[in-house]
Amino acid sequence: MITAVRRFRLQLTPQRLFAALFLLVLGYLVVVPLGVMLQETFTVHPLERFQIPGAMTGDFTTAHWERTFVGPHSYAFFYRPLINTLIIALSLSLLALVIGGGLAWLVVRTNLPFKGLISNAAIIPYVMPSWTLALAWLTLFKNQRIGGQPGIFQAVTGIATPDWFAYGLFPITITLALHYFPFGFMLIGGAIRNIDAQLEESAELLGASRATILRRVVFPLVLPAIFSTFLLTFSKGLGTFGTPAFLGGPVREFVLSTSLYANLIGQRPGIGYIAAVVMIAMGVLVLYMDHRIIGARRSFVTISGKGARAGLVDLGRWRTPLAVLVLGFLFSVIAVPIGALAVDTVMLRPGIYNLQNFSLHYWIGEASLAIGLGTGEPGILRNSQLMGALGNTMRLAVVVALVCGVLGMLIGYTVVRLRGTLVSRLLDQLSFLPYLMPSIALGSIFLALFAIARGPIPSLYGTFWLLVIACTVSYLPYAVKAGVNAMMQIGPELEEAAIMSGASWFTRMRRVLFPLQKATYFSGMLLPFISVTRELSLLILLVTPANQLATTITLRYTDRGWYPYTNGMVLMLVIIVITSTIVSRRLMKTDLAKGLGG
Amino acid sequence: MPAIVLRQVTKRFAGGPPAVRDLDLTIPDASFTTLLGPSGCGKTTTLRMIAGLELPTDGEIDIGERNVFSLAQGRSLAPAKRGLGLVFQSYALWPHLSVRQNIAFGLEVQKVNRAETKRRVEAVAESLQIDAYLERYTSELSGGQQQRVAIARVLVMRPDVLLLDEPLSNLDAKLRMDMRAELKRLHAETGATVIYVTHDQLEALTMSTHIALMRDGVLQQFAPPLELYAQPANRFAADFLGNPRINLLEGVVEAGAIVSHGLRVQVGGDGVLAARPGERLTIGLRAEELRLEREGGSGRAAVRILSVLPTGADWYYRVGLGDAVLTVRDDRHPDLREGEQVWLVAAPNPLKVFDEAGRSRTALSGRDAPAAAAQAPGPAPIERRESEREEARA
Repeated sequence: MITAVRRFRLQLTPQRLFAALFLLVLGYLVVVPLGVMLQETFTVHPLERFQIPGAMTGDFTTAHWERTFVGPHSYAFFYRPLINTLIIALSLSLLALVIGGGLAWLVVRTNLPFKGLISNAAIIPYVMPSWTLALAWLTLFKNQRIGGQPGIFQAVTGIATPDWFAYGLFPITITLALHYFPFGFMLIGGAIRNIDAQLEESAELLGASRATILRRVVFPLVLPAIFSTFLLTFSKGLGTFGTPAFLGGPVREFVLSTSLYANLIGQRPGIGYIAAVVMIAMGVLVLYMDHRIIGARRSFVTISGKGARAGLVDLGRWRTPLAVLVLGFLFSVIAVPIGALAVDTVMLRPGIYNLQNFSLHYWIGEASLAIGLGTGEPGILRNSQLMGALGNTMRLAVVVALVCGVLGMLIGYTVVRLRGTLVSRLLDQLSFLPYLMPSIALGSIFLALFAIARGPIPSLYGTFWLLVIACTVSYLPYAVKAGVNAMMQIGPELEEAAIMSGASWFTRMRRVLFPLQKATYFSGMLLPFISVTRELSLLILLVTPANQLATTITLRYTDRGWYPYTNGMVLMLVIIVITSTIVSRRLMKTDLAKGLGG
Repeated sequence: MPAIVLRQVTKRFAGGPPAVRDLDLTIPDASFTTLLGPSGCGKTTTLRMIAGLELPTDGEIDIGERNVFSLAQGRSLAPAKRGLGLVFQSYALWPHLSVRQNIAFGLEVQKVNRAETKRRVEAVAESLQIDAYLERYTSELSGGQQQRVAIARVLVMRPDVLLLDEPLSNLDAKLRMDMRAELKRLHAETGATVIYVTHDQLEALTMSTHIALMRDGVLQQFAPPLELYAQPANRFAADFLGNPRINLLEGVVEAGAIVSHGLRVQVGGDGVLAARPGERLTIGLRAEELRLEREGGSGRAAVRILSVLPTGADWYYRVGLGDAVLTVRDDRHPDLREGEQVWLVAAPNPLKVFDEAGRSRTALSGRDAPAAAAQAPGPAPIERRESEREEARA
């Protein structure tokens, strides 16, 4: 017994201490929430006691489940949003796959000109907030159904856009596909690049035609990446919130995430939590399919690349038209939306697009009830509410990036150093778990978990730190992935050599491990930074008027129809995100694909 | 400089047989001791336990007067406090630091002042002839230069004990010869106790003052190299050392001799052997203990020459004796050809005889060595054959 205690004391290495600590913390932040959420689906909430006869707040009930699945309104509450979600996720994935895969093939395997420009530009739609395109769509194509002035298209052509085109499933699918096709571009491009040229050359020597080689050799080899992309975009489509909120709201077309939100902040939190459980179950199902179909390959596909390679397909006379088409496409999904948003912010009276109407009122104007929309709000740049929210967003993004970076590094260190042990596997999987939870569901979990004080943990609702915790947990899979990758690159003897020199654990981290993999760690921090900047669904339930963020306040301005403010804010976020991506790429040699991996 | 004592040291990794089992070993003060054995024998694990990078499952380790590990007392001294330096097989040079920064790292961590650090770094760099590369990054250096930087990084700390983990395995054969001489010089100059891990028996024989031969986590024999060569404690030790491999021949004890296919090896009068007539024993005959004669005679056996293998300096012959194939070194008959029949004479010095369990009946030390019957005379470990080939090329 005494020997056992002594042995235990001798084995207290930093990695073991970290393992214990992280298991405890992640257990509380990842496992407990799942339980809490399930419990909430069986609990009577304050507003619900009037809907359930004879129930008291806090009672156990199965009424939520009954109403969701078999009640008279279950179609409106649940089945219709579920069907909408599936339709959107399925069609957006197929569309993103076709666009991304086609673009990847053109860039990697043909003699298309302007490849550098194209491959840089093709990532930008993913970096922008997903609902930028939704707002741009509204700006361009909205009709008079939601009141106010019509969009640019109608103003210029005089043709009223039909409802199905302006709002609902169609534009949701299109704009999301345009946001997620870079996944396909990066993952499939990486897979095509990794195909050994000899495999194709052998087929060619055997007399196979180009088409046969593509069909019988290239396609099967890329198939895992194709499935990966499909499942990745599919699961993103399941959980996305901003775009369906902006584009589905005007015609009251709900998907699971928006119905979850409406129920949760409305009078039926129980039903909202059930929607979250269903979304997580679907996430698990997708991952399971991923494992079944792709086998040992994780949905995290490493993107590696060698330079240009021989045997590029000659596009012949199609070379120029295709280049024009691709550049035109990228222009219309990047520059046109941004331009539309920008134009909208400088038009004093909405819907009238001419030079006389030009004004910087919405940027720098005084608060007024008479000018333009007459909102009584000062222009964006002098609006303390908006600027405060933007400041909050930046503060949150920096803090979360740092916390994620450090956590990713430490958990990566622990996982790799204890590799082969149960603890290492458990830690790896625990930190991956949030990946399965749709962010709106994750947000609802944290709402449930921290709304009241539990044991020694105080109620954090309404504080900045709750936002930090939620974001950190949500982006942990990416941060840990980057941390594990970085550590795998460093042989243990590089650290042991420092141990032999007498360097403390902290010195080893600071002087050896961190400098060796700086770029990977910074890439692991860039993604959380960008994600926080544009995060909406995770935080929409957690912010309070006191700690509004740029994205959440944007939604409130949209609700009032004050689009110039919304668009101006989104524009600033887009500029911040794109600038920080480019700057960090130059300064720290970060590679978004490294941190992304899925 | 200190002696290193391991008492009943055992290391068990999760889900496997012990990597090191009940190891009792006293490494003499100022010796150049080699831990030798095939891969997976526990030699590197032993080195890492001495260094403090691996925690023994049981046992005690002393370095000099100090106890550095004791499970019973719950003590494990931090690696840097054990006064030893470790050169890694891969060198483990930090690629983001220059040669100078690599060497100075330990001194900086120990807060040695700047002038002193500079002086010591430059002195050690000069003695290892890498002073011209101090400002370069390690990736810009050749394998041999990287090796020197790794050694310099350790020597600058003036360790009492120098641990070397297969330091020459990444060098080509020629560079290896040079570095062997260099390491021997370093040992003489620093007076440090050196513990050297290798699977290369030739390296062990040429450099060490003592060899600890290990197999499957168990110490087989601990002896000076020539004693290990001349008096292997068991059949495994006999087989592992020596190039070409020792000939192991089964025979029957008959009137003061062991006889195998007509070849008689006199054992009579040797009190150590204590052989009973009719007992089956294995006799170990190194190539240089055999010779070929054109004439038959008492105790000689008729053999056929299977192949002639001249190396330039020596003549080796592969000969068939019954169903056994033996290697013979004999430089007196350059005219012998394949297929000729000649007579084989055995003159072992000293006599090496193993019982059925593989234990030596004749070795003076290591009489309690573990049995080795299961292995011998099986095929040599692959790594060793590779090293043999390299030696041949050199």
